[in-house]
Amino acid sequence: MAFKLRRKTPFEGSGLILFARVEDAIKAERALKGANYVVKLVAPPPGLRKGCDLAVEINLVEQMGIERLLTQRGAVYTEVAPLKGGMEPLDIVKITHFGDAIMVKAANMKLTFDKNTGVILNTSGGGCPDIPYLHNELIDKKLTEAPRPKELGYTLCALMLDRAFMESLKIYMKTGVRDQRPGISLR
Amino acid sequence: MMLICGTVPIKDFPLTLGEVRFDGESLAINDLKIPCTQGTAALISAACITCEYLKIDPPQALLVGDIGEGKGSRSLYEYLIKNVYTLSPDVLVLHYILPVMGLMRKVCESVERCPKRPIMIADASSMYAAKAAGLATRFDIFTPDLSEMAFLADTEATHPAYISRHLFNTDINHVHTLIENAYQNKGASKLLLIKGSTDYVVKDRRIINTIAEPDIPELGAIGGTGDTITGMVSAFAWAGLELHEAAIIAAKTNRVAGRYAKATPATKVWGIISHLPKVFKDNLCEWSGVCMKTGVRDQGPV
Repeated sequence: MAFKLRRKTPFEGSGLILFARVEDAIKAERALKGANYVVKLVAPPPGLRKGCDLAVEINLVEQMGIERLLTQRGAVYTEVAPLKGGMEPLDIVKITHFGDAIMVKAANMKLTFDKNTGVILNTSGGGCPDIPYLHNELIDKKLTEAPRPKELGYTLCALMLDRAFMESLKIYMKTGVRDQRPGISLR
Repeated sequence: MMLICGTVPIKDFPLTLGEVRFDGESLAINDLKIPCTQGTAALISAACITCEYLKIDPPQALLVGDIGEGKGSRSLYEYLIKNVYTLSPDVLVLHYILPVMGLMRKVCESVERCPKRPIMIADASSMYAAKAAGLATRFDIFTPDLSEMAFLADTEATHPAYISRHLFNTDINHVHTLIENAYQNKGASKLLLIKGSTDYVVKDRRIINTIAEPDIPELGAIGGTGDTITGMVSAFAWAGLELHEAAIIAAKTNRVAGRYAKATPATKVWGIISHLPKVFKDNLCEWSGVCMKTGVRDQGPV
């Protein structure tokens, strides 16, 4: 009697969470699985090893939500690294002026605000599912009062929108005497 | 059938399949309402208007709520993997869905088993997943902007946030290099519509058309104006236009709609979408030879 083997789809993560200690990796994996993230304990390649022989493989696009969860749960990790390509997300921005409006672009994300009032006029670009949600949460709010994308989003698109948001806030605060946003250092 | 798959930013919106209608302000699918904002909702709105103008069947959509947690996206992938054979769409559009490479691979495998291969179109995160999983060449159309084009050209990156700095800094004058790299690395679909200050229509690594007029730079600031282009491309492809024609007309339409709307950086996407019927009425016959006359689709200009 022949049995037909059912092939399980291999998990294709594109990033690793790296740890100094094995117990930290196990604790982090448990926390992430408990929050319904699809992750896997793996041996990191030699070039990425940071002191321990275990890493947690993740879908890199979910990096921001994963890091927030680990911080909330008190999990200790060394860093998050992509399995291929650049080791850090892009940290440069491009600025475009439209009269009274300024558009700040970080990677694939753009945020446009009114330089006189600080009101967020639009967000555009990106493609992850939290981006339309963040668009609705940010539009028509002042930069000094709107929630940070980092607080609400989950994905790398949201991380790039957060970069554009913080750069916009910095530019807006520099253009005159503004009320400081509580709890955020712009330096 | 044209099937558009994506997420909406409403957390508890159930996985829903059905015909979509746009009433000028919001979308309706099986009596559920969705506001017309950036994302898949904007894509569908533009597709609905285009289909209505062309007097062809409205799109079907497979939608689910997801605000980034991924649960909705995964349920959408699973449904599509199981049911795409039965649905057997003529045009399949994949849009704002959390990029999961393994699931995108299974979707493509299921599509390969369909009785008839659909025209495959991807934008936004579905384009990211397709490229990251090495599946770009299975798609007929991608609609990247310039930074996403840099991502397609980057052999290593699995998301635009991780593209090489020098590629991000590539300006529009060097778009040829990005195109060459993307095709070389198998990161490009058969046809690309690159959206930017100049739009490029690229077929099998050759630029076959550029669209630069009217020049409305403010469109780049308005969330959803890339989605509207993809929606129109999809609808024109569903209507039977050659894919490059569909891309050229969609790019032109978006620009003229921006001019009609007197677009500013504060304009919202529905303010652009609402002008699409007039743009079609004023220009489509001349641009495409698709001339509408009292509800009858003619084969050539009247």
